[in-house]
Amino acid sequence: MNDQILGVQGVSKRFGRHTVLDEVTFGVRAGSIHALVGENGAGKSTLMNILGGALRPDSGTVTLDGRPAAFADPLAAIRAGIGTVHQEFGLFPNRSVAQNIFAGREPTGRAGFIRWRALGRQAQAILSEIGVDLAPSAPVATLSVAAQQMVEIAKALSLRPRVLILDEPTSALSDHEAQRLFRLLADLRSRGVAIIYISHRLSDVRQIADEISVLRDGRLVGRTTREASPADLIGMMVGRHIESITPSRRTNLGAEIFRVEGLTRHRVFADVSFGVREGEILGLAGLVGSGRTEVARAIFGADRLDAGRIWLEGRALAIGSPRQAIASGIGYLTEDRKALGLFLTMTVGDNIVAASMPKLVSRAGVLRPRAIRAEAARYLHRLDIRPVDDRVEARTLSGGNQQKVLLAKWLSAAPRVLIVDEPTRGVDVAAKAGIHRHLSQLADAGMAIVLISSDLPEVLGLSDRVGVFREGRLVTILDGATATQEDIMRHASA
Amino acid sequence: MTSAQKGRVADIARHRLTPAARYTLGLAGTVVGLLAIMAALYPPFADSANVEVLAMNFILEAFMALGMTAVIVSGGIDLSVSAVLPFAAIVTGLLLRAGAPVPFAIGIALLASAGVGALNATMRQVLRVHPFIVTLATMLSLKGVNLVITGGAPVAGFPESFALLGRGRLLGLPFALVLFAALAVAIGWFLAHHRYGQQVYLIGGNVRAARLAGVHVERVLLLVYMLCSSLAGLAGVVAASQYVSASTGFGQNSELRVITAVAIGGASLNGGTGSVGGSVLGVLFLAIVYNAFAMSGVSTYWQDVVSGVMVLGAVLLAQAAARESRTRRAAGPGERPAAAQVR
Repeated sequence: MNDQILGVQGVSKRFGRHTVLDEVTFGVRAGSIHALVGENGAGKSTLMNILGGALRPDSGTVTLDGRPAAFADPLAAIRAGIGTVHQEFGLFPNRSVAQNIFAGREPTGRAGFIRWRALGRQAQAILSEIGVDLAPSAPVATLSVAAQQMVEIAKALSLRPRVLILDEPTSALSDHEAQRLFRLLADLRSRGVAIIYISHRLSDVRQIADEISVLRDGRLVGRTTREASPADLIGMMVGRHIESITPSRRTNLGAEIFRVEGLTRHRVFADVSFGVREGEILGLAGLVGSGRTEVARAIFGADRLDAGRIWLEGRALAIGSPRQAIASGIGYLTEDRKALGLFLTMTVGDNIVAASMPKLVSRAGVLRPRAIRAEAARYLHRLDIRPVDDRVEARTLSGGNQQKVLLAKWLSAAPRVLIVDEPTRGVDVAAKAGIHRHLSQLADAGMAIVLISSDLPEVLGLSDRVGVFREGRLVTILDGATATQEDIMRHASA
Repeated sequence: MTSAQKGRVADIARHRLTPAARYTLGLAGTVVGLLAIMAALYPPFADSANVEVLAMNFILEAFMALGMTAVIVSGGIDLSVSAVLPFAAIVTGLLLRAGAPVPFAIGIALLASAGVGALNATMRQVLRVHPFIVTLATMLSLKGVNLVITGGAPVAGFPESFALLGRGRLLGLPFALVLFAALAVAIGWFLAHHRYGQQVYLIGGNVRAARLAGVHVERVLLLVYMLCSSLAGLAGVVAASQYVSASTGFGQNSELRVITAVAIGGASLNGGTGSVGGSVLGVLFLAIVYNAFAMSGVSTYWQDVVSGVMVLGAVLLAQAAARESRTRRAAGPGERPAAAQVR
C-alpha cells in the first residue's frame, strides 16, 4: 500500500460511553475506488468525518501520503486536497448554484470583494466539465434533488481534490442519474483521483468499487472486492445471513377498494388513473421528478387537484386537506421523513400516535396518557423499533428506526389505503428487510398499498402490479410477477 | 446577491430576477404607491419640509436597521439594541458632562456599544443559548444598568459643538441623514459583494454547511453582533445630540420597530435572506405610515390599530410580486424548470 494517499491507522472514537470506531485501519490509493459499506450506525459517517477533518480521533492516526496528518478543521482537510460530498446536503438554498459551488472560496479582487463574473465563469467551467446543464445563477432551492446532488459534487470537484469522499451519493438519484454519476467517478479514477465511496446500495458498490471494506459496530470486519456476492456482503454487514430481502407475493386479492380517475394538476401531472385492490401492493416507478410524489401529495390533500376524482370503497371523496384524507381512510408516508414526517424533537411515542389522536382522547378532547403509551408500546414491539422506549426524542434514532416510527404512525391510524413514498431510502439492509416484511403483512391483512420507490428491485419484489410514470403521466401498468427492471426503465425514460 | 451576476445575464435570460430581488422591487413599488396616494390626498405631504420630518422621525431606527439586517440574515436576532441606544447616549452624556472632548466621548460610547455586541455573541456561542434569549437578557440587564448609572435622571449640559451631529446640516440635508446614507451604501455593498458579507448569508442559510465550507462561523457572528450594537450605539449618540440630553427613556420599544422594518424589507427570520436595500425600504414604509397618520389627523390610538394591518399588507403585497413570476416559471408535466435538468 505504498501508493496510499489517505488512510487511518488504528483509529478509535468514542462519544460518551459509546464506542463508535474501534481500532479501524483503512485507506485509499490513487486512481482507485474504495467502497465503505455497513449498516446505519456502523461508524461510516464518523470515519468519514475523521478523514474529512470534521472530527478528531481519540486514538490512532490519520495519514496523508504516508505521513501522519492531523486536520484541525474541515478547511485544513480541504486544503490538503480532500473533497467531501455529504449525505445531508450542505447547500445554501437561497444562494445560486455558482455561489454554492464556491461557498467560502469565492474569487475576490482587492479588499475581498467578490468578482461575480469570474465566479459565474468558473462555476460554468466546472459544470461543463462534469457534463451538468445547470444555470450558474439559478437559486439552488429551485432545483430538483438530483440536480442539487450534482451541485454538491461540483462543489467538491471544484477543489481539484486528490481524494474524493462520497456519502450515499445515489440515495436521491434515479437509476439513470446514478449511472451518469458512475461514469463521472470512473473518469475521475482514470485521472488518478482516490475515491472513497460510502453506501448501503450493494448493487452500486459492486458496480464501481475496486475494493470493498465492511464496517460493523465500529469495527472493520472484512475487506473484499466487487466479486463478492451480495449475500456475502450482507452477511458481513449484519453478522448473519438475511433469508430473503424480498418477501413472497400475495395470491388472493380482494375487490378494488380505491380508484382515482383523470387526476390532473396543471403542469405537474396529467390524466392519472389507477385502482388498487384490497390486499394489493401497487408499485409506482419512474425517474425522480416524474410526478409520482406529486400525485401522492394531491391524493392526500396536501396539494390541490385541478381535475380528477377519487373513490374509496365506492364512495366519491372530496379531499381538501390531509386531515380529510386521514379521516377518509388514506395514509401517506412521506419521502422526506425529516422535513415532512417526523416531529424530531418530540418523543417517539408522540410521533407514533400523531395521526391517530382522535381514538386516544376522551370525549372532551383530553389526551388519555395511558392509552397513548399503550398504543406506542404496541407498535414499538410490533415493528421492532430500537431503542424500545417511547420517551426518547425521535431525532436520536437511526434512519431505519425513524422510518419504522413513521410506519407505526400510519399503522396506528389504520387507513384503508396507505401510500408509502420511498420507504427505505437511506435505511440499512436489516431495517429495509423489516420494512418490506411489514408492508407485505399489511397487504396480507387487507390494506391497499401504493408503493412509490426508485429502488427497482424493491418495486418488483413487493408489487403485484407496477405503474410507470414518465413526465407527469402514468404511461403503463405492468404485471409485477413478470416485469423486469429493463421493462420499467424502457417505459420510464422512453 | 445574484443580481450582481449581471455579466451572465445574456445566456441565462431565463433567470431574470431572483425571488428576493422581485420582492424588493415589489416593496419599492408599494412604498412609491403609498407616497403617491398620500401626496394626492394631502398635498402638503410632498413638501420637502415634511419629507425631511418624515425621514428624521425614523432616523434612529434606520441606523439600527442596518446592523439588524446583518444579524437577521445570519439567522439570529438582537433585542438588546433598544437598551444599547440609551446606554450609548448616557455614556456620551456622562463623559461630556465630566468635560471629556467630544470625539473621545463618542469613541468610548461606540466602543462600549460594540462591547455589548461582543458579549451577546460570546454568550450565544459559549452558553449555546438562542440569541433571542441572550439578547433579551442583555436588554433587560442593560436597561437596569442605564438606570443605575444615571440614577434615573436625564443627563444634560453638553458643549455646543456636540449638537452639530444631530442638528447640523451638510449639502442642505441633516447631517445625520447624510451619515446614514453613507453607512447604508457601505454596509449594503459589503453584505452583498464582499466575501465576508457573503459568509453572513451562508451562515444564515445553513450553518453546518458554512462550517464545512471553511467559514469561521463564530468570528463572523462576533463581528455581526458587534456591528449591530455599534450602530445602535451610534443611534444613541445621534439621539443625545438631537435632544442635547441623554435619557434612559430613549429608544423605547425601538427593537420591535427595527425588527419589523427589516422583516418588511424581505429578510426571513429564519436567516439566509434579506438586504440592506430592502430594510431601508422597510424603515421608509414605517416612516410613511407614521407620518400619514400625523398628517391626516386621525386619532393616534387608531394609528397602532391600523399600522399592524399595514405591516401585514406591505409584506403580502411584496410577496405577491415575488410569487407572480414563480408561477410563470413553473414547469410542464413532469418537467423540471429548464435550469434544473440534468443532461
